[in-house]
Amino acid sequence: MTRMISAELLVLRKRAATWILLGLWTLLSVFFAYVIPYALDPEDAVGGLNELLPQSLAGHLTAGFPFFGGVFALMLGVFAIGSEYGWDTLKTLFTQGPGRLRLFTAKLAALGVALVPFVLAPFVAGAVASFVIARIEDAPVHWPSAWLLVRALGATWLILAVWAALGALLGVLTRGTSLAIGVGILYALVIEGLLSAFTDSVGALEPLSSVFLRSNGYSLARALGALPEAISSNGPGSFGGPFVAPGQAVAVLAAFIAGFAAVAGLVLRRRDVT
Amino acid sequence: MDFVIDTHALTRRYGEAIVAVDSLDLRVRRGEVYGFLGPNGAGKTTTLRMLLGLVRPTSGSATVLGEPPGAPAALRRIGAMVEAPAFYPYLSGRDNLRVLARRGGVREDRIARVLAQVDLDARAGDRATTYSMGMKQRLGVAAALLKDPEVLILDEPTNGLDPAGMAEMRDFIRSLAQGGRTVLLSSHLMGEVEQMSDRVGVIREGSLVAEGTVDELRGRTGLRVRAEPLPEAIDLVGRLPGVGAITTVDGAFDVAADAAEAPAINRALVEAGIAVSELSPRRASLEDVFLELTR
Repeated sequence: MTRMISAELLVLRKRAATWILLGLWTLLSVFFAYVIPYALDPEDAVGGLNELLPQSLAGHLTAGFPFFGGVFALMLGVFAIGSEYGWDTLKTLFTQGPGRLRLFTAKLAALGVALVPFVLAPFVAGAVASFVIARIEDAPVHWPSAWLLVRALGATWLILAVWAALGALLGVLTRGTSLAIGVGILYALVIEGLLSAFTDSVGALEPLSSVFLRSNGYSLARALGALPEAISSNGPGSFGGPFVAPGQAVAVLAAFIAGFAAVAGLVLRRRDVT
Repeated sequence: MDFVIDTHALTRRYGEAIVAVDSLDLRVRRGEVYGFLGPNGAGKTTTLRMLLGLVRPTSGSATVLGEPPGAPAALRRIGAMVEAPAFYPYLSGRDNLRVLARRGGVREDRIARVLAQVDLDARAGDRATTYSMGMKQRLGVAAALLKDPEVLILDEPTNGLDPAGMAEMRDFIRSLAQGGRTVLLSSHLMGEVEQMSDRVGVIREGSLVAEGTVDELRGRTGLRVRAEPLPEAIDLVGRLPGVGAITTVDGAFDVAADAAEAPAINRALVEAGIAVSELSPRRASLEDVFLELTR
């Protein structure tokens, strides 16, 4: 299994799209989390200057993962499996010998490993940005506790993993990349976004909203210190609550990962490669 | 008889109307090169995909190396190239093989060896997307050889190759079979199959319509006779013992007769004062047989 995972990592590592997604995500997360709020007026930003200082790093950055980071992870997940259809390499993949499910498991494991830099890079870049702002403002530099950072890294990995698993499932179902990305973004933006926005006025939507990726992702971000005002003003990825308990959010996201992977694996195992 | 590939009434339908493969009984012996011949759309690729477990049969059964199609135990001993070879375009030829080696549990020192075998080592570091069609084809064969397989399943392996490349590939495939390897080779090119195969199966509309060695398929030897005057010659030869049907062909005639009858025919014609300018053995080409079977 280790060699199979290393094969899938090689496929992901040498692909330009992986690095482009990582670079864009890191750049945009820092740009929207630090550069824009600081450039406009830090005192007008949600939470004021404090939000842009190192002490708020964990919560402040985590708020960008459930939607914006999710879309990047979705694309990575789609590319990881959907491209195999586009290049017609699935037939080569499935005639190597280890069995379809083992190969798919190796692909998912490699995808999970590939998400680690998608978690670390924004945190490193965010730490640098917050440190620079603190220096410019002559503010004290207090870093979050190691335990909080570890939890933030774990939570953001989980948030990205569920979106990547959704991407892999959509790649399998649509046997390609374009439609999968389109459907994924449509789901993130329209289904979850609009329905979440109506939760306040339509009470019947609340139970449904509580199982959305968005609500569970933001609930984790909230538990790690993200400000509700920042989450509700998060542009197309905004969420006004209600939030669920962090334990429930972890369980729901983990269940989604397992569910998406199981359905994708079942379809891959059963379906002909024509 | 030790059959490496054995199918019984193997059938694949797409909906009610399309029968891609229809009750196919195919048996490939250990160590032979089996040419799987058929026109485009006859069901060759679907059959190969079923043998590799990529496509499930609608009915019937098959075993490859004693295992059901797609069984990991069998796939580890099979090298395959189905339709056009497919690779990650941004990876080099070597990296593409590295990925396959790691997935298939193959030692990576095999990579250099198979690259040398297909004469691709000089370009192995270049991205696969920069390869010509012929180079991709050779990389496909290298990928199929990576596991040092007992069975090679090759679908149109000379596609996209120039005449020199085709000749090279034919020799190469023959050399692979000399090591005791079984090769199932699908093609719609008669010359290719004729030169490479120990036995040939002809498939038409999903059914096997003929099977045998090339010689068996070409049938009885005939004789071509060119003589003057032609009508008298035809009349005389038609009355000789051991002579079958006569067909007039472009100022001569073909006789269904064994080559051993040639001296008797010649003697009879000369003694009757008929001038014989040609008396040569004549056999149907595989192409003639193929066209007749698939018409």
